[in-house]
Amino acid sequence: MQTTPSAQPQGASGTRLRDSTRLQDLVSEERAHISRRVYVDPEIYELEQEQLFRRAWLFLAHESEIPASGDYVTRSLAGEPVVVVRGDDDVVRGFLNSCRHRGMALCRADKGRMSTMRCPYHGWTYSKAGKLLSVFAPNLYDSAQLRKEELGLIPVPRLQSYKGLIFGSWNPEVPELADYLGNMRFYLDLYLGRTDAGTEVVGTPQVWDVNTNWKFPTDNFTGDNFHLYSTHGFAVELGMLPPDPMSLSYGHLIRAEGGHVLHVVPGPPDPMFEYFGLPKELVPHLQRNLSAGQLELAKRYAFSVGTVFPNLSFMQVMIQGDPESPPTPFLSLRYWEPTGPTKTRVWSYLLIDKEASPEYRKASYETYVRTFGPSGIYEQDDLENWEECTRVNQGKIAQRYGLHHGMGFHLEPDRSFPGPGDAWSGSYGERTQLAFYGEWQRWLLHNAPWVRR
Amino acid sequence: MNAAVDSTASPLAMNSAAYAEVTEWLYREAQLLDRGDFGAWLALISKKIVYEMPTRTAVLPKQGSGFHDEFGLFADNYSSLTTRVKRLQTDQAWAEQPRSRTRHYVSNVLVDRDAEGNLHATSSILVTRLRPNRPVDLFPGERLDVLRKEDGSLKLVRRRILLDETVLESHNLSVLF
Repeated sequence: MQTTPSAQPQGASGTRLRDSTRLQDLVSEERAHISRRVYVDPEIYELEQEQLFRRAWLFLAHESEIPASGDYVTRSLAGEPVVVVRGDDDVVRGFLNSCRHRGMALCRADKGRMSTMRCPYHGWTYSKAGKLLSVFAPNLYDSAQLRKEELGLIPVPRLQSYKGLIFGSWNPEVPELADYLGNMRFYLDLYLGRTDAGTEVVGTPQVWDVNTNWKFPTDNFTGDNFHLYSTHGFAVELGMLPPDPMSLSYGHLIRAEGGHVLHVVPGPPDPMFEYFGLPKELVPHLQRNLSAGQLELAKRYAFSVGTVFPNLSFMQVMIQGDPESPPTPFLSLRYWEPTGPTKTRVWSYLLIDKEASPEYRKASYETYVRTFGPSGIYEQDDLENWEECTRVNQGKIAQRYGLHHGMGFHLEPDRSFPGPGDAWSGSYGERTQLAFYGEWQRWLLHNAPWVRR
Repeated sequence: MNAAVDSTASPLAMNSAAYAEVTEWLYREAQLLDRGDFGAWLALISKKIVYEMPTRTAVLPKQGSGFHDEFGLFADNYSSLTTRVKRLQTDQAWAEQPRSRTRHYVSNVLVDRDAEGNLHATSSILVTRLRPNRPVDLFPGERLDVLRKEDGSLKLVRRRILLDETVLESHNLSVLF
């Protein structure tokens, strides 16, 4: 863990909004209070772009999207276009997708394979490692003035991977990715590090634009189990959810370090739900890749949803695609990319353990796409909620009244839980949401929020 | 993969009775969807239906159309389509409460018949969707359909929906295509 000078709130000018509202008053973990303004206010959006997104580690891509030398994807890092490319040396690098001559975007497809990056405008050409190789009509330049070694592509200064997930940061001071993830790695490994070869992306990400603030879906994916019986009530009517509305409450809410959170929920008492319901041939992988404590969780908790702070979520669930099909597991990754105060671009990935059979891969895919993603019979309704919450919270009268996040607030952590962090018994509650907003507030207020308290 | 029409198929003239039957089927189907009569719509669908909407990536022309062969936004069979319809018939399908107001415009219909008598219809579509409190959604694209006579009436046995969008500009796909 990096030990730069201890985190102190900035001066008064950095702790208030222009209308003199104190940033501390937007979120109160102690009072379980969240201001509606955090979801809609352009000033808060600009502040979080500066203080959070241009300083934190953010998800960029999965390594399996660019398996070979020259493979690239174009993505966004804190609102700036970047190209992520695998070099001839197999090293993955990220660059601002912008020529040093006029700023033109170099790579204009979503993905592809390159030998070099040649600017469409005037032909300046860069290597996969970002080096400026050639310019048009070099003899017309003064070679002392055109210093090619200083005109390489602007690199993403920090780019690291964890178990197949590539993250980038514009902040040279941000700690190593492994330290940033902290003890959340214990939980991420249950999903990303359980099989010998790890996971890969099935197909491509589904990408769609939603009129919501990125914090609404993130809030939901910090561990909101208790929306199921109202938002997804149709599933009870169709016999796809058990009638007991407390059925998903018998798990734990977990607050790991650094604002990373998740919930884990046991499946029904049936061996088919053990080890996430993965095909039996994959279970020996889990036994050799996971620790005893991780294996205990993997055996017991079939369902998990969580978020790597600030905006990368995951879900490991086992559900029916329709009432005629058996419960089938899938693992999905979500990147909630902020594109405006009330705009979010959703990137939803289906991940699969690389060693999985073609039959399981197909079943997992069909279950995922029928239930989640833009057409999913569950997720359709979530998206309607998040847009409507965002719309209504823009009202100035509405904003006079805060939002209450107090479910399970009085419970004490369960010290017998076999994983790290604080774990609360009972998976209906808003502890993980409050932890997320608390961390969000720390990043807005502090000079070095990555230094753990 | 975009070739819905197999090599044995031959084009039907636009003034043929079979062409007229297919286009009328397409228009009646669109009317049922736009009127929200999903139960009647399901009666037009074969139990063997393969209903897919692939994801699309913006790629350079030499890399093809960018549609993904085996991954998409819909991957349905008869059972899952029936589930979608039953869901719409509950009072708790919130994405469709109130109901989206849609219009399925179908044009540029071309029909080929293969050696087994399957009718391969390609069409351009523009689906418009309006909901309270959000801008109009436009879904332009192409449909590759295969229709077949089952018990004397045309049924849809395969539909591949190729949207022009790579990034969906809509919050969800709670409507049928």
